[in-house]
Amino acid sequence: MRIASLLWRFPSVLMAWRNLGRNRLRTALAALGIVIGVVAICSLGMATVALEQQATAQLGDLTNEVTVSSGPDSDTDGVTEEQVEEMRAIVTDARVIPQKTNATTLEARNGMEARMSVTGVTDASALYDLTEGEAPERLHSGALISNATADRLGLESGDPVEYDGRIYRIRGFIESEHSFGFGGGDLVIPVSGLADQRHYDTVTIIAADGDAAGRIGDRLDTRFNAENDEELRVTTFGNRAQVGGFLDTLSLALLGIGGISLVVASVAILNVMLMSTVERRGEIGVLRAVGIRRGEVLRMILTEATLLGALGGLIGALVSLATGMVLFHVITGDATGALGWASSRYLVYGFGFAVTASVLSGVYPAWKAANESPVEALRG
Amino acid sequence: MSVVELRGVGKRYESGAEIIDALKRVDFSAERGEMVTITGPSGSGKSTMLNLIGLLDEPTEGTVSLQGRNVTDLSEDERTEERRSALGFVFQDFHLLPMLTAVENVELPSMWDTSVDRHDRAVDLLRRVGLGDRLTHTPDELSGGQKQRVAIARSLVNEPEVLLADEPTGNLDQETGGTILDEITRLKNEEDLAVVAITHDEQLVEYADRVVRLVDGVTRP
Repeated sequence: MRIASLLWRFPSVLMAWRNLGRNRLRTALAALGIVIGVVAICSLGMATVALEQQATAQLGDLTNEVTVSSGPDSDTDGVTEEQVEEMRAIVTDARVIPQKTNATTLEARNGMEARMSVTGVTDASALYDLTEGEAPERLHSGALISNATADRLGLESGDPVEYDGRIYRIRGFIESEHSFGFGGGDLVIPVSGLADQRHYDTVTIIAADGDAAGRIGDRLDTRFNAENDEELRVTTFGNRAQVGGFLDTLSLALLGIGGISLVVASVAILNVMLMSTVERRGEIGVLRAVGIRRGEVLRMILTEATLLGALGGLIGALVSLATGMVLFHVITGDATGALGWASSRYLVYGFGFAVTASVLSGVYPAWKAANESPVEALRG
Repeated sequence: MSVVELRGVGKRYESGAEIIDALKRVDFSAERGEMVTITGPSGSGKSTMLNLIGLLDEPTEGTVSLQGRNVTDLSEDERTEERRSALGFVFQDFHLLPMLTAVENVELPSMWDTSVDRHDRAVDLLRRVGLGDRLTHTPDELSGGQKQRVAIARSLVNEPEVLLADEPTGNLDQETGGTILDEITRLKNEEDLAVVAITHDEQLVEYADRVVRLVDGVTRP
């Protein structure tokens, strides 16, 4: 009763609610159409978000790196100190990390030998993720070694390694998986250890994200290279942009499919509203005869359509949330990812589309019912 | 002063090549406290006349007045306002809304009017027609006579000057019809109404202060 007395202040809502309750099966079926449309839109949208997050996670940090090495038209067999300085002048918003690389053979105490790459770099902490120990801001002494190599040779923290006649103590272990990029990461020592190499072999620039990396790459290319004169080879990973572009297209296509099902649902609502207003023709005539205004009849029927849409949209959003969490669990392994705004905003979109489509579907039946002459309508 | 008045009112329907004069230059008036019945065979123009008095339809000639005001050329929205404030309708088939309770059905004409609360008046009217214990019943829980009492209460909720009844006893047995007519007569006197009823029913004619006979769209004394 309290709900009824509250609804009494919103007569259109009260009347609409009672009218929808008169034929519950029809109301439920119309709402079900909306539910399906919303679930289609939301779950397809959320699926693309899950795919995008998974793709981004797999590509890792690589996509925001720019790698520079000496080009085929270079006079030197590496990147010169002057070129590095110039890069630092051009690229002020990202770290420029020059490296020298070589190869060596390390021999372990147990007599095992391993061939590996050696990287000389000062700014090691920006380049490598360590599983143990720490990479100092500037590597002046000591060495970092990859987990895999350390395991193979039985090396532990503090153990000495020798390169080019100098001894370095191991200060940290590099997460092996990470360093499949340029330069390798088997053994990392201060750049002074490779002093006999005049030039840098590679320069890694770490930008904020893939887009920034692309812009930096373009700028460097313009500065150092002419059309037929590739002084420096500048490599960026366009992957994220390409993957993103592909996923955008995919998500548009999927949302289009979802949208079609919502259009179908709104046609069903149009049909239901039209049928129910035709059935209630005499009743609407009575309303008009006893002095209910045309606008009030219009509002009542529009409210019915809106309630249908809101009901279907709400249930659809809840079902979609559950579906989205399952999708995220399957695709990324983290169900709570579905709650993030990137994904949950599709619930808001789906609900909004459902209500909008329903209101639009209600406009014609409402207008038709409100504008019929009371005499004609009373005749039934 | 007559509360409703028709002066030389005609209504012509044109459907294709056929022209039907449903009502021809009819003069009619009703006073407060008076019950007038309009009788006549089917197709004599009774319903057309009631629709014109009830501002549900527009005449093709003549003038319609309500409380001395000419209401012939009002727009649809203005006629709706007049119906809401000055007229009450009772129909042969009761025409209650099935999803509303008795008291909600009575309040219906003022439902969208948030400026007035007609709840007390609705309850009072239902008590006066003997349905004080049926306030929250829905129409399918009421008998035919009870439904018509609810409809009468609904027609009076906005304190109209004129009550228009279209065969109010047409779907009721003789005895129930009699009690409904007693009810209408009593309320007519209490509320000082003009009642205009169209009917075939001889019983209703007995209750009338005045009878207007309509044949082929023309009034006969």
